[in-house]
Amino acid sequence: MTGQDATAPVVRLQGINKWFDDNHVLRGVDLAVSRGEHVVVFGPSGSGKSTLLRTINLLEEPQKGSVAILGVEYGPGLDGEIAGRRRGDARELRQHVGMVFQQFNLFPHMTVLDNVAIALRRVRGVDRAEAEERAARQLRRVGLLQKVSAFPAQLSGGQQQRVAIARALVLDPDVMLFDEPTSALDPELVGEVLGAMRDLAETGMTMVVVTHEMGFAREVGDLNVFMDEGVIVEQGGREIFTESREARTRDFIKAVL
Amino acid sequence: MLPVLAQQVVTFSWKVITDNLDVLWAGVRLTVFVSVLSFTIATVLGVFVALARMSERRVVAAAAAAYINVLRAIPLLVFIVFIYYGVAIYFGLTFATGIQAGIFAFSLQYSAWLGEIFRSGIQAVPKGQREAAMAVGMGPVRTFVTVILPQAVRVATPPTGNMMVGMVKDSALLYVIGVQELFRNAQLLANRTFRYFEIYLAIVLIYLTLTTTVYYGMKFLEQRLQPVDVLATAPRRFAPFERRRRERLLELRERIGAEAAPTRIVAPEAGA
Ligand SMILES: Nc1ncnc2c1ncn2[C@@H]1O[C@H](COP(=O)(O)OP(=O)(O)O)[C@@H](O)[C@H]1O
Ligand SMILES: [Mg+2]
Repeated sequence: MTGQDATAPVVRLQGINKWFDDNHVLRGVDLAVSRGEHVVVFGPSGSGKSTLLRTINLLEEPQKGSVAILGVEYGPGLDGEIAGRRRGDARELRQHVGMVFQQFNLFPHMTVLDNVAIALRRVRGVDRAEAEERAARQLRRVGLLQKVSAFPAQLSGGQQQRVAIARALVLDPDVMLFDEPTSALDPELVGEVLGAMRDLAETGMTMVVVTHEMGFAREVGDLNVFMDEGVIVEQGGREIFTESREARTRDFIKAVL
Repeated sequence: MLPVLAQQVVTFSWKVITDNLDVLWAGVRLTVFVSVLSFTIATVLGVFVALARMSERRVVAAAAAAYINVLRAIPLLVFIVFIYYGVAIYFGLTFATGIQAGIFAFSLQYSAWLGEIFRSGIQAVPKGQREAAMAVGMGPVRTFVTVILPQAVRVATPPTGNMMVGMVKDSALLYVIGVQELFRNAQLLANRTFRYFEIYLAIVLIYLTLTTTVYYGMKFLEQRLQPVDVLATAPRRFAPFERRRRERLLELRERIGAEAAPTRIVAPEAGA
């Protein structure tokens, strides 16, 4: 935890470049997220939104660019100027960053309680009784305390995604990442997950959310980022939905509404 | 022919079996010993074969693939004979008794089959599982042990059980190199007493018993690997460890539910 800078943005990406073989997926992306800010990322399929989000917790390693969390550099860094700054390893980074996946990715062989408690126990070294207590509190927060003993397969998609949110929150992250958290859900289950996310946003949690739920974006998004073909085409506050500068942004918003 | 057959039938007698239980029992013990030991070694080797087969280093992966493909392509009987009469004698491995040669042959060939089973078990675990584990801060080893392996085991258990049954049956092949396992002892006994039908019938029943035991053992294990919701509304009979978990979870649920309201991020038990 040393070397952190309380005044630094929670997340700051600079000059992020990512290739999958010859496929240049992120082409120089800059993004800063300050504490308590809610960033919504949207854009066409294949534009690099997931890759960008996964770069923030280094599930994808960019070949070039700076990934700084709380002022600590974890990425390859920018040429020259970043050199000499402490470079943390990915596992330390992930102590600060929670992630929620499109497909929930709950551990199917563990109870709901264990899904939430396991990282406290196995990564943080918290003893079992305390870990389970803290996990149960998070489950209560997302309205699923009654399901402690259930297995993921017994739950609806919406419930599974709420467990996934609890699993990330229990580690007390500085920022939460959501990658299309409602895209895999039946329409009638979208509301409960967006509800949990909205309430989480109200608690002041720093969030980066990839979503096509424009209603959610309008309500919660402090900073709205439109991506296309590996670059940020345009970003701004609520006004981006009504008076975007770029034609590509307007077309996309029109299409998803 | 007919009179002979008739005579066989009327003189059917289990006495030859009851008189020679010790011989058969010795055979059973050796069969079980060879099977268990070979399968254990093959399992350990199989894990390494699977890991090597999935290695990112091309040479390692290719070597493992060759190992698997070659070993699986040789008939087991031929392989046993090759090891015992071929390799062991040619290289003067005087320590190699038939039993040792047999265990060696079984371990190698079964490790190839098991390696493939384990690999497909591991690869059946979705990529997202690894990512979710890493995202909560687990390292590669922790991720494998806590998240990947338990799921892979569940996938690999049924085919591994089939292999185990196969092992018991294949152990009879050792008769060709004179190992006195169950089948060989039965042969010797039959040649001595001419009670072919009774003896081979007994052997069939004994193999049936052994394989059925393994089969139901594996079924039991598979069931134990099935998740059980210990607070489900329609509980089945719980094992003691499940009862303890049930009590612990009930207490936890009650206690946390009764705490003063924290910041709740959705309405109480919405949709639960
Ligand atoms: N693991 C990967 N290997 C190779 N190519 C990938 C991988 N992940 C994503 N891509 C490619 O990167 C591009 C951006 O993908 P992604 O970030 O998933 O876009 P989005 O989330 O906006 O739909 C796509 O062309 C996709 O095919
Ligand atoms: Mg995506």
